[in-house]
Amino acid sequence: MNRRWIGFAVWLLLTVCLYFFENNAGTRIVMLCTMLIPLIPLCRQAFFSRDEAGGGISRPPAVRVSGRREMEESGNVRAYAPGDPVGRIHWKLSVRKDELLIRETDGYGAAEEETAEAPAEDGQGIKAERRLVAGLVSGMLLCTALLLLIPEANRGAQALCNRIFAESEKANAYVYDYFPVPEGQSCILAACLAGGALSALAAVAAAVRSGPLILSVMAACTLFQVCFGLPFPAWVNVPLYGLLSLRMMKRPWRRGSLLACGAAVLLVSLLVLILFPGADAATEAASEAVRDRLSLMAQSVMDTVSETREGETETRHVHTRSLNAGEDEAGTDRVFRLVTVEEEQVSMPHWVNWLKAILPALLGIALMILPFAPFLLLNARKRKAQESRKAFLSGNVGEAVCAIFRAVISWLDETGHGRGNLLYRDWADQLPDLFPDGYAARFARCAEDFEEAAYSGHPMREDMRRRALELLRETETALWKKADWKQRFRLKYWKCLYE
Amino acid sequence: MRSQLDRVLRETEKVIVGKRKVIGKILAALLAEGHILLDDVPGVGKTTLAVALSRAVGLSFRRVQFTPDVLPSDLVGFSMYDKATGDFVYRPGALCRANLILGDEINRASSKTQSALLEAMEERQVTVDGKTYPLEAPLIVMATQNSVGAAGTQLLPYAQLDRFLVRLSLGYPDYEAQMTMLRDRQLGNPMDGVACVMEKEELLAMQQEVRSVASGDAILDYITRLTMASREHAALQLGISPRGALFLNRMAKANAFAEGRDYVTGGDVQQVFADVCAHRVLLKETVRETSVEQVLEELLRKVENPDRRGFFSGIRK
Repeated sequence: MNRRWIGFAVWLLLTVCLYFFENNAGTRIVMLCTMLIPLIPLCRQAFFSRDEAGGGISRPPAVRVSGRREMEESGNVRAYAPGDPVGRIHWKLSVRKDELLIRETDGYGAAEEETAEAPAEDGQGIKAERRLVAGLVSGMLLCTALLLLIPEANRGAQALCNRIFAESEKANAYVYDYFPVPEGQSCILAACLAGGALSALAAVAAAVRSGPLILSVMAACTLFQVCFGLPFPAWVNVPLYGLLSLRMMKRPWRRGSLLACGAAVLLVSLLVLILFPGADAATEAASEAVRDRLSLMAQSVMDTVSETREGETETRHVHTRSLNAGEDEAGTDRVFRLVTVEEEQVSMPHWVNWLKAILPALLGIALMILPFAPFLLLNARKRKAQESRKAFLSGNVGEAVCAIFRAVISWLDETGHGRGNLLYRDWADQLPDLFPDGYAARFARCAEDFEEAAYSGHPMREDMRRRALELLRETETALWKKADWKQRFRLKYWKCLYE
Repeated sequence: MRSQLDRVLRETEKVIVGKRKVIGKILAALLAEGHILLDDVPGVGKTTLAVALSRAVGLSFRRVQFTPDVLPSDLVGFSMYDKATGDFVYRPGALCRANLILGDEINRASSKTQSALLEAMEERQVTVDGKTYPLEAPLIVMATQNSVGAAGTQLLPYAQLDRFLVRLSLGYPDYEAQMTMLRDRQLGNPMDGVACVMEKEELLAMQQEVRSVASGDAILDYITRLTMASREHAALQLGISPRGALFLNRMAKANAFAEGRDYVTGGDVQQVFADVCAHRVLLKETVRETSVEQVLEELLRKVENPDRRGFFSGIRK
């Protein structure tokens, strides 16, 4: 389980919430599309290599599919040795075999540093990646070309566009020029081709780690949305895309690219808010409805409601215009004044509209950032944890002994067996009875070593390190064996820190 | 070193049965060059302990029984006119030429006598008629205070209590110990069997070594946090003084030395904390339910110990 998956799950949840919050059909479609997009990197992760540092596709999917069984048989798993990173522990197998097992580095979960050090070694993978990208791009081009060239498909595409226009008109206050396509034109072929082209594009975006390309894809998506009107909260998609592109950009992020990305997102959001009336379409729709009501009222007062349902709209417009112009034949003075007052109440001051736009914008951005906040915190903890692991092999044995013993203590703390603010040497008498015989004595011994290392500054002997590592291993095994599901959950979370 | 301390302990235990812990603490206080206040009921063997200890360590022993009419000059000495030479001759008092002084019932002395004694304790010298006489090198005062029958006594003020390194109490022996004691004393006095197992010079050397025990930044940090917490504690009117912190460090060093280590751990500080600090803090008058001991225990519980605090100094001093 990768923490990125959790992040995407939260993201997805959020989008779904927004989806239900929105009751506009066109926007809902846009939202649905947005929901699908985070799935791309997930699929990518599932089917291609698990390590991100390697960049792109470095391993064929087959390894992943039969990974575990193969590993078990070909001996890619070995017993846990003290000092091994907890993140390398194969938890599933460990549970089954009741002893801690370690994934070997040549398994599919290869160490990050290994790949980072020798990228040239993976030439095969890079070649495969290039081939795949080339195939996808040509597929995309082929689909587009077919879409344009085959008359049947072309007409279908136009019909498809007409449908989208119709949807968009329902959602917004726009009027589109429809393509001249005969009624009942089938658009199945066009939909297939367009779908193929789009999915190829998405696959390319997912497979390639090039920042500009992904950004341009995102920009295209955004433009597409903007063209078809983007009422709130669909424009939240803009920062969404921005975050997604940030996610997919090459690590480590440089400050420049971060700034550029942030600025671009902000700019697009603002442009959308200011230039496209879809943003306050909701407000307009509301005032429209009130106007309708008012004019109807005015008509009833005038006792002139004689039109049929079909003619209502025209009459309404006429009346509205006449009311606005203040012409006399629209009604008596009293009614006119009544209507003007009500209308003033309806059309609020302009800044309210701005407020309406800005507050949800801020809220949206906050909501977007929220799911990432824990990971930022987690990263800090992770760095600390990894540093302490590094200290295990430190040349200064004293430091190593301290770090190892503290790791033992953290295991106990994590599983709720910690003894709080008691001196570690006193913990030995109060340890839970889930440990094997003689553990308490060994713990006390190591606690003494720890004290000597921490407080004396004596040069420590190498066997003390060995003893401490032995204790750590024993602790980990015993605690994992006896942990209930809640504790195992905690341990797994904790394990995440070392991954 | 450890073995020598053990031997002293064993010799002393011949006389004081079943009080190993307290004797150990007294020995640690000796090593830390501090003075000891024994706060106890009469007849539990305070004097016997002092005598046995002085015999075992080879210290010269003197006892002063304080009463309201004991004068400062009885302690520090006085100048006497010598008719033959026509000069003033200094007659040393009880404090001079003694290493271990038992000040019995110090709370019965007048306050000026008390302060004379405490001054000598602090400066390890006496001044009579403008002339200063240094006292012999290991000078340890064991003062006793009876907690019962305190009517008409001068309780030591807190400022002066602060000068004692530790306040201990022997307490009654348990059944076994008292049976053994009664049996031992049927025929003779076991005090005669106490042999001198350590020289005075050895004690001085040990004191020197105690001073060189390493007390790292982690420990000093712990002591500082403990004392500061005591000053801010809601139930305490008077927290631990800086001198108290110094003494705490010194006693912790001695405790580490007695356990055969040359570095102080958090455990050392915790073990000596109550003995060193109980007589230095003062409860607020409005606080009724709790005792000083409970407050100190709470401090130890609350203040994050150096193990937990977790900084690896690794560098000696």
